[in-house]
Amino acid sequence: MSDWWAACRAGMRLQTQQFMKGPLLIVLTVVEALTFLALVSLFGLTGSKAPTALVVNDHSPLTASFVQDLAKDHDSFRLEPTTLAIAKQRLAAGSVVDILTIPKGFGASVAAGRTVVLPVTIDNVDTDLTDDIQRALPAAIQTFGLQHHFNGIRLAPVEHDLLSYDTAYVPYLVVSALGLDALVVAGALGATAMAGEWENKTLVQWRLSPSPMSGLLIGKLIAVVIVSTLAVWVAALLVFFGYGVHPHDAVGTLAALALCCVIFTALGAVVGNLLRRTLPVAIVFFGIALPLYIDSGSLEPERFDGHWLWFFGHATPVYAAVGVLQNTVHGLRVTPESIPVDLGILTLWALFSMAIAYLILQRSKAVR
Amino acid sequence: MRGFLTLIRLDMAIWRKTPWVIATALIPPVGMAILVTMLTFAVTRQPVALVIQDHSPQAQSMADIIRSDTDTYQLYQTTLAGAQNLLKKQEVTSIIVIPKGFGKALATDGAKVDLTLNNIDYDFADDIRRSISRSVAEFDAPELGVASSRSVGTSVIPSPYRVNPDETDLRKTDVDFLHYQVVPVLILLIINVGMLSSAVLASRDRERRTDRVLALAPVSPMARIAARLTGGLLVTFLMVIPVTWILVATHQIQPPDGHWWALIGVLGVTSLLSVSLGSLLGVALKKSTTVALAAVILASYLFFLGGGFTTIAFLPDWLQTVSRIVPTRYAIDALRQSLFYPDLSNVAKNLITVTGFAVAALAASVYTLRRAAR
Repeated sequence: MSDWWAACRAGMRLQTQQFMKGPLLIVLTVVEALTFLALVSLFGLTGSKAPTALVVNDHSPLTASFVQDLAKDHDSFRLEPTTLAIAKQRLAAGSVVDILTIPKGFGASVAAGRTVVLPVTIDNVDTDLTDDIQRALPAAIQTFGLQHHFNGIRLAPVEHDLLSYDTAYVPYLVVSALGLDALVVAGALGATAMAGEWENKTLVQWRLSPSPMSGLLIGKLIAVVIVSTLAVWVAALLVFFGYGVHPHDAVGTLAALALCCVIFTALGAVVGNLLRRTLPVAIVFFGIALPLYIDSGSLEPERFDGHWLWFFGHATPVYAAVGVLQNTVHGLRVTPESIPVDLGILTLWALFSMAIAYLILQRSKAVR
Repeated sequence: MRGFLTLIRLDMAIWRKTPWVIATALIPPVGMAILVTMLTFAVTRQPVALVIQDHSPQAQSMADIIRSDTDTYQLYQTTLAGAQNLLKKQEVTSIIVIPKGFGKALATDGAKVDLTLNNIDYDFADDIRRSISRSVAEFDAPELGVASSRSVGTSVIPSPYRVNPDETDLRKTDVDFLHYQVVPVLILLIINVGMLSSAVLASRDRERRTDRVLALAPVSPMARIAARLTGGLLVTFLMVIPVTWILVATHQIQPPDGHWWALIGVLGVTSLLSVSLGSLLGVALKKSTTVALAAVILASYLFFLGGGFTTIAFLPDWLQTVSRIVPTRYAIDALRQSLFYPDLSNVAKNLITVTGFAVAALAASVYTLRRAAR
């Protein structure tokens, strides 16, 4: 047993020295993880509050009330009051996506019970954006009509929310992205650590050494887990302090991320043993993270995306990781499975991936 | 000239014999294309349970309005207990109930449509809220409904809400979400292949010290540099031309008549820009692994700050300002304009801007390659 521990310590030392010899790789891997956070944040900003030029040619209380309804309309518009000439320039320059013009006499006409036509010019670059505006305007108009109890309105929607608060979109997305960050950082470093041994042909020496190979492997991976956990915790702190996300359970979040790093380091080792080249491994993980981000419940609970995507989501540990992280940070339950079940799945993944990494290494021809 | 051509052949042979570099260049664009395709499923229709408890004709009319909004709802018509079970299992995002007595309540202006919403995040929750508001408003004011929003021009039809939107679209074509987002992936492919091809070749020469052998070749330094950049450019074209051809042959992209020159211009100038940036990176970083990683990170920033995965107008002002110095913004704008819209407005301006960036990057890469060659 003491031999095993000695080998484990030696493996850790070896990997730490390799990290210290090439710190740029660690820095770039962390930058890659932060890039992922930036990417999803930018996507999150596109989902709501359409930048809208508002041209107000009427100054009545009813106009003010309508403008307020537009501003509060389910995060639909980011209103930018301006003149028609400037609005047209901004629309042409692509800095607003639509122009709403409240015509002169709006308030008087509405007060008199007449129907006013509201000119809307949309830069219909794609149907998704156009649809959002086409839904948002009737919603604001409905709020306006109900608020002023206009005659002839016979029905209204009544909303019951399951949760007492809505979680904002970017904070939701970045928490999911932390799970994917663990995949990118730990997976890439774990894979590079193992592929490096193949590339430098040092793996044969592992076999020649009297030390147990499992000890060397575990020691190496422990060093990777420590470095990647620290890197992912940096990303988590950026989310907590930079994005202003207040976690329900900060310790639980950091622990969940550490568990993710164990799993993804081991999976990285598997990939490194299979590819045996350092050049593509980090990019493989970045490439995998992109589609996995969607198929893990990162934008919304995965179950909402239909049976097939939900089914395939279970094929990787990211699905359960996102479930646990959304619970520890936002207190949300985003998987039909309970949190203990998600945690159990993650633990099984950790054990399974470690075992596979070891088996692949032991069965490799170069090591025999 | 012979030496110049030999060096180009050498670079292309090295590239052909390193399939891992080719794979590395392809992984991010392929991943991004899959992401955008899957995103289409996630951001469009939402699963919603519809419960009809009233059997009046008015309740049926309300249900028909909801059913007609096929862009928003993926409806499961069921009982209240069934709907609650679906909501609990997260198979639906919300339950819409047309309650008992709906028809009678309309007579007293007190009818309700109940919405129970799993408001986990406000993106899809707001989508449902807007949609149900529109459906409910449509009942009393059909001109606020789905069909009216698709028709052109609105006359003044009296509405109980007293406001009718009159929509004017800036563009004559409607581009679906998938194509709008997936087409810029072509730019990501060019950036990745262009940057990696030249960056990895440059760093490989230094890593393997073959740059010393090349220095002894009877070729002038300028010819060596020109060969390196031309080789990178040819490799990029070798990857991009077949992909573009496949996209055209499968009708995924169909440039309108007279737009081909713009499309070829955008792809060509972006390739030159990418190869030049890659050379700079290859000289700055020595190890192939770090060069590859840095190239992919730089390509990612160039892609999404250029509006490849976002709409620039939605970004904060400071990011919009930053994106003005991102050359891919102009390339992506020009690409979308040349592929999706009937006119070529701003394409010439965008092409000139990208060309300016490309020439500057080319000059910088020639300078750094010359210094490195000494």
